[in-house]
Formats: sequence, structure tokens, C-alpha cells
Amino acid sequence: MLSQTHRIVQALLFTAQEPLTQSQVELCIQEEVNLDEIIAEIGDYFEQEKMPIWIQKIGQGYRIMTRAEYEPWIRRLFQDDGNVRLTRAALEILSIIAYKQPITRGEIDAIRGVSSYLKTLLEKKLIEIRGRQNGPGRPLLYGTTSHFLEYFGLNSIQDLPNLKEVEEVVNVGISEDDEEGHADQ
Amino acid sequence: MSYNVKLDIFEGPLDLLLFFIKRDEINIYDIPIAHITREYLEYLEVMKQMNLHLAGEFILMAALLMRIKVQMLLPQEEVEVEEEIEDPRTELVRILVEYQKYKDASLQLKELAERQLRFYPVNTSSQNSSWDPDIFLSNIGLIDLGVAFKKILDLRAQPKYYEIEISKVSLNQQAQLLRTMFLKRKRLRFSEIASVMEDRIEVVVTFLAILEMVRTSELRVSQKTLYGEIYLTQIQMKDNHVVADA
Repeated sequence: MLSQTHRIVQALLFTAQEPLTQSQVELCIQEEVNLDEIIAEIGDYFEQEKMPIWIQKIGQGYRIMTRAEYEPWIRRLFQDDGNVRLTRAALEILSIIAYKQPITRGEIDAIRGVSSYLKTLLEKKLIEIRGRQNGPGRPLLYGTTSHFLEYFGLNSIQDLPNLKEVEEVVNVGISEDDEEGHADQ
Repeated sequence: MSYNVKLDIFEGPLDLLLFFIKRDEINIYDIPIAHITREYLEYLEVMKQMNLHLAGEFILMAALLMRIKVQMLLPQEEVEVEEEIEDPRTELVRILVEYQKYKDASLQLKELAERQLRFYPVNTSSQNSSWDPDIFLSNIGLIDLGVAFKKILDLRAQPKYYEIEISKVSLNQQAQLLRTMFLKRKRLRFSEIASVMEDRIEVVVTFLAILEMVRTSELRVSQKTLYGEIYLTQIQMKDNHVVADA
């Protein structure tokens, strides 16, 4: 059975515009709560009642999402084709920033071998300026945002697919020379 | 030698080189530099013939490839010094492997985004954070807008003679009219708006007013099908000045 607290948290989840955090809930309820536990119980309840929604952990907070199987109908409602609206270049730039942040544009360009256009990603709030690097020209440093986590459905930047695994794909059938792999963190 | 590379859009010289490496099943750590340089230069030639703009990076890479090729052809002289002679290809390999790593990672990111796009957040905010604000304009181009506009114009009766008169309608006036219409309804059809217009010039000015309001982010326009109805939706302003003006 769900308590009044559970129902309050549900109400907050329904109205919050960003993932709901522990501190927000405590601020609203004015007492300490174990949000993880409450969320798990509400999640179970949604499941039992076969509701079309579930709770996803995104960044430091929780958000109610529709279940994947209702996607076709919702997509029609929004006249959405369901495509990722990022170009190949944008995805490349994003992945470099995600794994190597904070990073300068020069460093991104060096990896890609071409100059990179960051303005769109900044406008979409997927990346942000993190300050300047101490060095010649004091170039701007870029990093990913909380919206980046939301967009890719990640709890934290540590949840990114392991780059090592990617490396193994690259190294298929290659034995000797593995010094390159240790170039980054 | 026949040359049948399909003109993919390559993100840059590294992308192009990786394409050759994959296509020709080359071991990235033992690149046949003469072969790949030839392929690369031929591709550049094709691009030139097609009058495609060649970014400076492509030329720079061509120079690097040729330098490596020359270095590999030159005999190593100082035999007496027993230090390890670096393979001229080492730096290129390092760059390629590094780039490939992030290129693969970007594909994984894309998959993550695709997975996440299947879930829609439940909340009442119209400016939902996981929504792309561009979505409303995604399947409508200027051409579509123009075609719909032309259709409305064609529906108006063609006058046999013309009388030139100073237009009574102004852009601001029509924008105000639209705002007034939005007070009653959230979504308007362009055909509906046009049907209350008296003449072509009024339709024209109203259309211009719509374009202007789209430009200033006061309106969104959307269209389900090509040549279909254009729907106008007002974007809620935070400071509400639009409503106050009307």
C-alpha cells in the first residue's frame, strides 16, 4: 500500500519540469525521506497497475516517463519521426567532449582532423563552457550538461559506454603495437 | 584502374582514410602507405572533378601521406647508431585509432539517444527539455509554406481589371489580428485565417505577418503533409506582453 508520502512524491513527479531530486522532495515535504526506496515502491505500483508509465533515474533525479511500447501513438501526437536530430559530426563532437571533458576546441579538432562547429550543441544545451584552459590563448573548455544526461538517458557521465570496449572493436585481429590505447584516461 | 567509391559524406580526411581501411580490410597498424595514398589522391581528384569544395584538411592529409611514403622509400642511413627507428606511420596510426575510437563511441551515443527517444517525459511543460524545439519546423520548409500560400492565392477570384490603391492593411495590424484570434483559440488553420480576408493583398500581408511572428518566435507553424494545411500555434511568452498588447 502506498502512503500519503508516496502520493505526494507522485504528485511532485507529475508536475516537476526536471528530474526530481532528493533535496527537492525534502524541501517540499519538510522531512527526511528515503527517495530511492519511495521511488522503487511507486515504480512497483505502476507496474502492478499496468500503468503506461515508469520512473527513470536521470542524473541525480527521477522522472516519470511513458513506457516504450506507447511510443508509436505518442509519436503521432507530436508528429515526431523518432529520429535522433543530431548529425554525425555533432555526435562525434559530443562523444569526444563526453569522454575527454573538459576539453578545448583545438583538442577536439585534433582528434577529428577537421574543424568542429560547437554552436549548435551549445544552443541545444548539450554542452557548456566550463572555463578556460591555462595556457597560450587561454582557450575555452567545454563539457557536457545535465541535459546531455537527460537526452541520452544516463544517470551520470560514468554510465557512458566504456571506451575500452570500443578500443577492442578497433583492435580486432591486431596483436603487436598497443601503446596507442593508453593515450587517454 | 576502375574507381568505384560511393560518394559518402566524409567528416574529414581521417573518416575517408578509415573508409579505405575498412573497405580494403587493411590492418590499421600496418597500412600499405603507397596503396592508401593512391586511393586517397584519386578520391581527391574525383572530388575536384566534381567541383566539390576541398577543405584544407584534405590537402594537408595528402601532404602527410606523401611525406610518409617518401620516408618509407628512403634508405635508413645511420646504421651504426643502435637506436630504434620509428616507423614513419606511427603518428598517423595513432591519430586514426584515436579517431576511430570516438567515431565508434558516437555510434553508441546515437543508440542511447534512440533508446531514450522512445520514452516521453510526463509533465505539463510545453517547453519540455528532451524536446527539440526545432521539431515543429522539422518537416516544413519554406517551399511548403510558399506552396500553401500560393494555393490560398489561387482560390481568390482573379479580378479582370485592376485598380491600384494604397493598402489599408499593415503588417502590425495583421499581427494584432492574429493575436486576437489566438485569444480565443490556441491553434489556427491558415486557410481559416485566409478565408476571412477581403483581398489578396490582405492575405499577402497576413502571410508576411506570420513569417515575421515565426521569426520572432511568437508562433510555430506545422504541417502534416506536403501541400497540406498549415497550423499556427502561439508560443507562450514568459512575460505575457503579447497578450497584453492585444
